[in-house]
Amino acid sequence: MAGEMMTGNLAAAWGARLADVDYVPAFPITPQTEIVEALAKWCESGVMAARFVTLDSEHSMMTAAGAAAATGARVFTATSSQGLLYAMEVLYSISGWRTPLVLVNVSRALAAPITLESDHNDVLAARDSGFLQIHAETCQEVLDSILMAYRIAEDERVMLPVIVNLDGFYLSFTREPVILPDPEQVKQFLPPFQPAHLGFKASSPHALGVAVLGGVTYSYFRHQMHLASFNALAVHQEAAADFARIFGRRYDFLEGYRLDGAEDVLVMTNAFASKGKAAVDAARAEGRRVGLLRLRVIRPWPADAICQALRGRRAVAVLDQNLSPGQGGILFQEIAASLYHEPVRPRALCSFIGGLGGKNISEGEFRAIFEQTAEAGVRGKGMGPVLLYTKTEHREMTELQMLAAGPIAGS
Amino acid sequence: MLAIRFHGRGGQGAKTASRIVGTAAFLEGFVAQDSPIYGAERRGAPVAAFTRIAKEQIRERGVIVHPDVVIVADASLISDPTARVFQGVDDRTVVFVNSSLSPQQVATQTSCSGRVTTLDLTEIALQRVGKRGALSALLGAVAGRLVGLHQESIRKAIAEELADLGLSPSVIERNQTVAAQCYETVQPVTIETGVPQPIVPVQLQAPIYEPPTRGTARISAAANSVLRETGGWRTFRPVLVPDKCNGCWLCFTYCPDGVISMSKDDRPVIDYDHCKGCQICVHECPTDALVAEREKEGEVAWRAK
Repeated sequence: MAGEMMTGNLAAAWGARLADVDYVPAFPITPQTEIVEALAKWCESGVMAARFVTLDSEHSMMTAAGAAAATGARVFTATSSQGLLYAMEVLYSISGWRTPLVLVNVSRALAAPITLESDHNDVLAARDSGFLQIHAETCQEVLDSILMAYRIAEDERVMLPVIVNLDGFYLSFTREPVILPDPEQVKQFLPPFQPAHLGFKASSPHALGVAVLGGVTYSYFRHQMHLASFNALAVHQEAAADFARIFGRRYDFLEGYRLDGAEDVLVMTNAFASKGKAAVDAARAEGRRVGLLRLRVIRPWPADAICQALRGRRAVAVLDQNLSPGQGGILFQEIAASLYHEPVRPRALCSFIGGLGGKNISEGEFRAIFEQTAEAGVRGKGMGPVLLYTKTEHREMTELQMLAAGPIAGS
Repeated sequence: MLAIRFHGRGGQGAKTASRIVGTAAFLEGFVAQDSPIYGAERRGAPVAAFTRIAKEQIRERGVIVHPDVVIVADASLISDPTARVFQGVDDRTVVFVNSSLSPQQVATQTSCSGRVTTLDLTEIALQRVGKRGALSALLGAVAGRLVGLHQESIRKAIAEELADLGLSPSVIERNQTVAAQCYETVQPVTIETGVPQPIVPVQLQAPIYEPPTRGTARISAAANSVLRETGGWRTFRPVLVPDKCNGCWLCFTYCPDGVISMSKDDRPVIDYDHCKGCQICVHECPTDALVAEREKEGEVAWRAK
């Protein structure tokens, strides 16, 4: 097989290296650290021409990233989980400055209780920040998406920052073959960054993100970000076509897997979509007409493409690897909203919550999803949110609770 | 419902005045609502406050667009377009202006379409309260009288609101006394409330996408603060008594707006086009060489924006 074995983290670092970034502000956090370590090494050895700077927190790191991008530099940085949340207020400033940097987030579930493994509540907390979001399934897609991210972000019609997301452990520390794009071809795909509205010179100072009061001015600029994000739909398709022409790999907003003739469709994101595809294959082999829709671009939200993929299906199941307490799955809500205006919408919409804190989703769980979704389709009534949690897991949990309680007082 | 809009400069007490009227109305058993609006807090910057009084539940919030009464704590605000003092004022609106001029003079000079009344509250405060800026109790008393609130509830409201600001009982009592005199000077007016305004649906026009050079919150016009003359914010101006100045440069150091420069012989030179009249230099001067003089309406510096 072509390419070389590398982790998702190394693929992310290669994305930054091939994009020929100018500046990398860094702060470590598991499971992201490997990315900035690789970049530090390359900057030190001189194979990368970027300035690498360690900062004292993710908040400082994102501030430095945005400020550097405001000078007209091409900026890359990476974080995860609590780090992303610590930097959160700066994300809104960066998108408001319209500084098109690329941030890689390595998904890790949020504390408390503390864990290191993946789910998507971290990256979805940045859902409304104005950053575009691309969620990757494979290590190759991580690298390719970073190159596409710069191309889309730096377009005058967009000028918004992008988060490229990959799952902690399941991609970040997972090695698989990755084809490294040729640097000359990358130059062909990704022109130099020359923003008209950014760049500080002593002879022509300007202020970004100035104070505005009364709401009229604020509404205008916030709405411009909304329009810019929607513009990214068309810009993405142009970039995807160019990328396919140059590198031979094609990425769309969504990836449909065995959707032809599928009665019921499972909607997923990120690395576990691979497992979902395997589950679809197994179910198909037994004659079940199921397919999978993987959401890749989450912001902007490609509502038309989603409706086109899901209209007329018997039932749709959305598997959220996140949980909004008191509401349910975040992507389920957005899918449901998109389908509301669809004249031939699915007869049933089902919400499943799985893979929280990196919990595995087994073949049996996928099978349970398919069965319950098919029943819901026949019934014509949706369901959920249903937590994917097995009887065995429940027993393990009970045993842990007994251990945690310790000896009962007085006994 | 009765809607009273207060206009003042940061530090003059427009917000507290709106609360005094709100509290007084509440004490009389009315439904009341009061709220201020201001930007980054700066002494001298235009502020507005709103009091609504009704017999039933109030279903409005925020800015009062069609006021029944407008209280102007500082006449210099009238010519500041950002303050929008006369927004929504028509021939029914009662407009009180803190001014030494007569109502007719103010109405003529400002082309105000409302029913203008005036009283020189700044002079009264200076003579009888002994403080230049704090007009809240006086403004509250005037507004309360205009809309027909009782003197006793105004008196109680002043005590509540000024105590909340941490003022001593003696200062509060002096404010109450002077406020009572203002209350008696002003005559209540008949206010025609509840005249329905015709409602027309607005034409919505969402902006289209513009390139980031226009569509980003970005200012490229450098050093533009010189263009925004803030001299008109002053109610009082710092004036140098040259004989008393010891050339210590403290006024230069303390000036928060950088409008004091020093001459070759170590004397302060004040840029009155931009001095906001905060009086910090007057307060800090160790030899009392800077004194506060009241700006006179109609004079050149007072007209500066």
